[in-house]
Amino acid sequence: MAQNPAPAVAGGKVKKQKRSQFSGMSKALVRRETISAYMFLLPSLIFFVGFVVIPMIMCLVYSFLDMGLDVGSAKFIGLSNYVEMFNDPVFRKGLLNTVIIVVVAVPSVTAFSLWVSSAIYQMKAVTRSFFRCVFYLPVVTGTVAVTVVWKWMFNTYNGLINQVFGSTHNWLGDPSTALACIIMILFTTSIGQPIVLYVAALGNVDQSLVEAAQVDGATKLQVFWKIKWPQIMPTTLYILVITTINSFQCFALIQLLTRGGPNHATDTIMYYIFDMAYNVHRFGYANAMGVILAIIIAIFSAIQFKVAKTDNG
Amino acid sequence: MNSAKSKLSGTSTGYKVFTIVILVLLAIFFIFPLYWIITGSFKDAATINAPNPQWFPLNPTLENYAKLFKQPAFQWLLNIIIICVGALVLTCLTASLAGYALAKKRFYGRGILFTIIICAMALPKQVIVIPLLQEMSMIGLHDTLLAVILPTVGWPFGVFLMKQFAETIPTEILEAARVDGAGELRTFFSVVFPMIKPGIGALAIFTFVNTWNDYFMQLIMLNSREMWTLPEGIARLQGEMSSDFGLIMAGATLAAVPIVAVFIAFQKYFTQGISMGAVKG
Amino acid sequence: MNMKKPLALLLAAGLSLGLAACGNGSQGSTETPAAGGNTPSGDQTAITIWTYPIGKFGDKESVDALIAKFNEVHPEISVTLETLDYQNGDTQVTGAITAGTTPDIIMEGPERLVTNWGAAGKMVDLSDLWTDEVKADIAATSESVVSACQLDGKYYEYPLCMTTHCMAINYEMFEKAGALQYIDEETRTWTTEDFQAAMQALKDSGAAPVNGIVYCGGTGGDQGTRALVNNLYSGTYTNAEHTEYTANSPENVEALTLLQTMVNDGLLTSDASFVASDELQQFANGTAAMTFCWNASNKAQYASQVAFTPFAMAFPSDDGTPELCGGIWGFGIFDNGDQARIDAAKEFIKFVCDGDQAVESVQMTGFFPVRASLGNVYAGTEQEADAEEFLKLMPYLGDYYNVTGGWTEQRTLWFNMLQQVFSGTDPQTAADDFVSQANANIK
Repeated sequence: MAQNPAPAVAGGKVKKQKRSQFSGMSKALVRRETISAYMFLLPSLIFFVGFVVIPMIMCLVYSFLDMGLDVGSAKFIGLSNYVEMFNDPVFRKGLLNTVIIVVVAVPSVTAFSLWVSSAIYQMKAVTRSFFRCVFYLPVVTGTVAVTVVWKWMFNTYNGLINQVFGSTHNWLGDPSTALACIIMILFTTSIGQPIVLYVAALGNVDQSLVEAAQVDGATKLQVFWKIKWPQIMPTTLYILVITTINSFQCFALIQLLTRGGPNHATDTIMYYIFDMAYNVHRFGYANAMGVILAIIIAIFSAIQFKVAKTDNG
Repeated sequence: MNSAKSKLSGTSTGYKVFTIVILVLLAIFFIFPLYWIITGSFKDAATINAPNPQWFPLNPTLENYAKLFKQPAFQWLLNIIIICVGALVLTCLTASLAGYALAKKRFYGRGILFTIIICAMALPKQVIVIPLLQEMSMIGLHDTLLAVILPTVGWPFGVFLMKQFAETIPTEILEAARVDGAGELRTFFSVVFPMIKPGIGALAIFTFVNTWNDYFMQLIMLNSREMWTLPEGIARLQGEMSSDFGLIMAGATLAAVPIVAVFIAFQKYFTQGISMGAVKG
Repeated sequence: MNMKKPLALLLAAGLSLGLAACGNGSQGSTETPAAGGNTPSGDQTAITIWTYPIGKFGDKESVDALIAKFNEVHPEISVTLETLDYQNGDTQVTGAITAGTTPDIIMEGPERLVTNWGAAGKMVDLSDLWTDEVKADIAATSESVVSACQLDGKYYEYPLCMTTHCMAINYEMFEKAGALQYIDEETRTWTTEDFQAAMQALKDSGAAPVNGIVYCGGTGGDQGTRALVNNLYSGTYTNAEHTEYTANSPENVEALTLLQTMVNDGLLTSDASFVASDELQQFANGTAAMTFCWNASNKAQYASQVAFTPFAMAFPSDDGTPELCGGIWGFGIFDNGDQARIDAAKEFIKFVCDGDQAVESVQMTGFFPVRASLGNVYAGTEQEADAEEFLKLMPYLGDYYNVTGGWTEQRTLWFNMLQQVFSGTDPQTAADDFVSQANANIK
């Protein structure tokens, strides 16, 4: 909660960078700045390199191996894992489901939290914090706790949902509803943070501009799109980033509710990687999928930031 | 503010009522799972498995808690707290230093470093888990709380966030400090740090909550029962031959209630943090 | 840039911090002397044991009591226990193997100890424990136990107990529906036709909210669904040599087709979100009239919840002669390269499985001894009545095919195949896919 409303994502700075960042600096100064910068970066880099970069490189190496539980007897098999992957219907299904989750969850979380925030940010302080609290509850309740209670509520025979609606539907066991259920739970655990951020950002919108526009006879909708929207843009970008990360990493929900089933209807790449590594013991193949996923995510993030820059610059 | 309010009341009351109704319904929908967890933890097996719901535990029982505390549940709670606090402190420290350097220093490799950070930010840990596991065992940390803490600190999101905050620091202030003869570290701690404090607070909460919910890392890295965390423990309470929802709800209650209480208590503090509007600088 | 040095420094610092802050972990135990206190001057050996929940071996207090007894005889060996669960146990062991932190002793069945970890070269050969006398004693109960515990002439498991996995019906529900006529209460068997008739009777009478749930949401309890499919038309899961999977044989496909039809007709329900635990819960609370995952251990676990008579039955088969899946449980030793610990681990295993302790150890599991010489270990005990029911099913013990290569992998494929069948895929196609993928993993 309570993130600062708008860490200015990207923004004008980028343009400056295009003219060399060093303009007007002497060589000695650049050297001194570089050394001191790396001193500041060092603690963070140690962790980043040690626990993200090095494993990532190992992951790349493993992806060319046929490696199982007996790590010692791994064989180099070139690109076979990658070739297999593109012929693996479950991988394709997992990719599709991952995309569906991201493409459905991210915009709906963003739009919905913006709507809720617009509705509550001008309310009385007590009411506002009440709603903000309520929507944040699933986040602090904890993903696992929320997941297990939904598992119970979705139970066909003594779950609350069927009891209330008098239905006998198997929500998590039916391929047509399982993924929707997962996305719905993901949604409830994702919107807390965006709402807190939007409420703060909307509260920071320059009120004089809004009033000036109203005097000029702008409609509410116009005020929103022309005045408020540009000002909360950095917050929106930040929300897009964290929600995307959240959606990509949705794991507990799937492992605890459906294990990728039924019929791979809820298999995501993340879960399939876990399944391959831990249940099927194909470390090489799992890592090859990991590499592809990392590339996809890197491209995705790069695009997101590219769009952010052009939108903002 | 007042004039805005009068404008607002000028708009359709129908829409306003509609909004309120929807919000209240949603609020119920969002509170309900927590309510169901807590009440469920006091229901006996017969009630839990009954074909009809019991909205409130009419014959409350503590048997689920008795079963829960046969497990080292408090140890699990302690473990997750140690992990979250450890990750939070280390992340805030390293990320604020690095974020400041990325935002305010001009140095070789800056562009490429930032790009790498952006690309790595969304990387799910599932991707690197096998190498990470081997690495942890190589340095003798597998099945210790540090095996969860260290990779969490390595996740570069904090650096990215702190960079965004540090960019709002006016360069002139840094120049002034330098002219006054302040060293790099002193500049950081006496000038930069106070200015990005709200950002650090934000990062602290974010790290805490995310680490708490990072069930995957806990599941993979922590093996011994005494090392489990509470979320992991809850997940593991459902065995192959039994799914005792009462027991699981008791575990979920123990996990949820403390952090919800802390959250509600701190909510005010963070609202204040926001109203400071640090971004405007 | 050389990152090694600072990294190493930091890790060293982190390690010491970690040990100080949270050092009550598993590493601490290696230095801890035996709990008994009467430490002799000789070398202390510390070993760890991981047990899956096999009866009371999943219960810390019971096993700790056993360890205390062991320490009376062997004070020089300290044993640290870790109890696993089936939900995450395999993940845990895989992690430990990857990380090189495996325990010394592990308790489970040949499908894990032999086929999985033994085949991967992670286990110690226990041939010296398998004396001729032991072999003869176990073979007198069942030859298949002896063969299941070995791979290429090396014994990776020293078995303690066994059982047959069966199913159970809600006796009162069947009675109410007039379906008891379709079962042979004495031999505990029924034919496939009887089974269909009984399901129809149950459905017509409305005595049960749901007749039976064919769970296929995961690997948990899949021995039940395998046995169900194999028995209906007397198919086999693998060939006799355990070198290939035969789930796409005409008999099995016929069985899958029958189940598909029965689900479509509402005589059974399939559930792709359930594993055995969820299904058992529905049986225990009287929702489902049958469970496909039953044995003495499950009966004991649900005893306090059931308000009816759970009546153990063999799986229905066309010729009325069922072949039940066996469960074999025992101990194996992970090769951690330390001969002293391996020897200590063997001492522990011998203590538990051989000699005076053996009867009590078997009683702890709730199953039956693999040694013919132990006779009926439940005679004269409180458990006698319960055990008798399952003893009746022991003669139907079938081939122990769980030792076929690629065993772990095919479990995941199996429940996925069932999911496909129950969502309308042609059983032949689904079974063919399953077999080709499962066979590909046999090395």
